[in-house]
Amino acid sequence: MSDRVAIIGIGWSGFRPVTPEYSYKELMYEAARRAYSDAGVDPRRDIESFVTVAEDFHEGTSIFDEYTPDQLGAVLKPMHTITGDGLHGLATAYMLIKTGQFSLVAVEGHSKASNLLTPDGVTAYAQDPVLNRPLRMNTHFVGGMEMNRYLYESGSTQEQCAQVVVKNRSNALENPSAPFGADLSVEDILSGPPLSWPLGVRETAEHADGAIVMVLASEEKAKVLSETPVWILGAGWSNDSPGLENRDWSSANYTKNAAKMAYRQAGIYHPYQTIDFAEVSDIYAYKELQSLEELGFFQFGEAGLVTEEGLTHKDGDFPVNVSGGCLGMGNLLDANGLARALEIVLQLRGTAGPRQLEGINVGLAHSWRGVPTASGAVMIMSN
Amino acid sequence: MTYLEREPAAPKAWQDEMQVTNRYTYGVAGERFFRAIKDESKILGTRCNNCEHTYVPASLFCERCLDHLDEWIDVGTTGEIVTFTHLYVDYDGSPLLEPETIAFIKFGDGGIIHRIESNESQQIEIGMSARAVFKSKTERAGSILDILHFELMTS
Ligand SMILES: [Zn+2]
Repeated sequence: MSDRVAIIGIGWSGFRPVTPEYSYKELMYEAARRAYSDAGVDPRRDIESFVTVAEDFHEGTSIFDEYTPDQLGAVLKPMHTITGDGLHGLATAYMLIKTGQFSLVAVEGHSKASNLLTPDGVTAYAQDPVLNRPLRMNTHFVGGMEMNRYLYESGSTQEQCAQVVVKNRSNALENPSAPFGADLSVEDILSGPPLSWPLGVRETAEHADGAIVMVLASEEKAKVLSETPVWILGAGWSNDSPGLENRDWSSANYTKNAAKMAYRQAGIYHPYQTIDFAEVSDIYAYKELQSLEELGFFQFGEAGLVTEEGLTHKDGDFPVNVSGGCLGMGNLLDANGLARALEIVLQLRGTAGPRQLEGINVGLAHSWRGVPTASGAVMIMSN
Repeated sequence: MTYLEREPAAPKAWQDEMQVTNRYTYGVAGERFFRAIKDESKILGTRCNNCEHTYVPASLFCERCLDHLDEWIDVGTTGEIVTFTHLYVDYDGSPLLEPETIAFIKFGDGGIIHRIESNESQQIEIGMSARAVFKSKTERAGSILDILHFELMTS
């Protein structure tokens, strides 16, 4: 028996700021049909277990996991929903296959953010109910305070954060699935309205709708079904203390630990030398810089400098968020990590179209669940 | 504005809202922490001597070693500003006409998140000291709102 697990099917629907004609179920159905077709499998006959990621308050339905089997072909089959990011779901599917009990598992994540009419109310309700929520502060304050301390300690600048937005939204112009492509200057970003100073509105990803489904297979099945399997080399996840009073305001230790776990599995000791490109969380622009440092690609305080120098540009030495990231593709709520992983798979298959990178073998996807969470996940893949 | 609101002939949707009302028990440590604010104008922490870590707000347990904590410490009412932000959106996402300044003020190895007195907020810098300003005793109810705001110690 072999241990390896591959992603052999991908499908997605979206991504768009609004999808008024589709229900969330139809978005999921469309993505699932594409993923099963891509993998060459019949979900009713072949897929043995299903994993979805969703958060009740994002969906506006209590016990939302009950609403996911039908549109995926999972009725009367083993399935469960995780209240976490898409990369948590992907890691779970990976583990299910590793148990040896399943050889084909599907993972789903989606966003119907346009139907969430009070998104700020949902994030506010994620604040500590007795210590923070009574103060009635918009939850973006957590991003503003983290960015301020991160810039203060690392010496990174607001201009460097703006450069991340310029890069990612420019990358999105080459991605037909990314709705927020734009040709902007650093000045355009910095002259935008403030959200939670030093964080600006234009450094914050806008929400988008869409769904992503992936099919994972054991090595034996992958070799039969796929000509372009993308192998999972390692997966890691970690949560810091939820309390805002107990966290480190300049570092994302959860991302550091998630990366360590994934690197250990993959046998990676020199991430920058081994990994060719990355997709990391940029829900807020500063988060890309902070995450690149926590993932061990650059020293603390270096990510902003190398971004200015163009190292993380699509033609640079270490391309980051070639897809456009969350800033270019949209904040997809619980599906953000799957969107990052989707780009890794497309690139490693060599099917990324006009934005295809050359000479790549190993990619890393990273995700963060957004404010006020301290939760990160990492997945490393190769072709 | 959503597409549905712009286009009357667009496909239909149903609108609804969740009724969610909760009670949040302070717990053993939380009750003592908020009673000290209400009755004594004090901010209390609990100390873990294994980890040499003082939790503020006070906690019943140490998240590092999971020991039960029973050493209570008065950490004073003046702390250092670790970070701050000028927030331009209200709780519900609507714009604020005047931004409000929020800070994390360090006490022990933790701290308190609160507002900074608005007249002073433009002078704020990381590393400054700030002092808790309490409501008058008769107005206190035993919550984080018994602290009105923090004021900067500019001298
Ligand atoms: Zn301890």
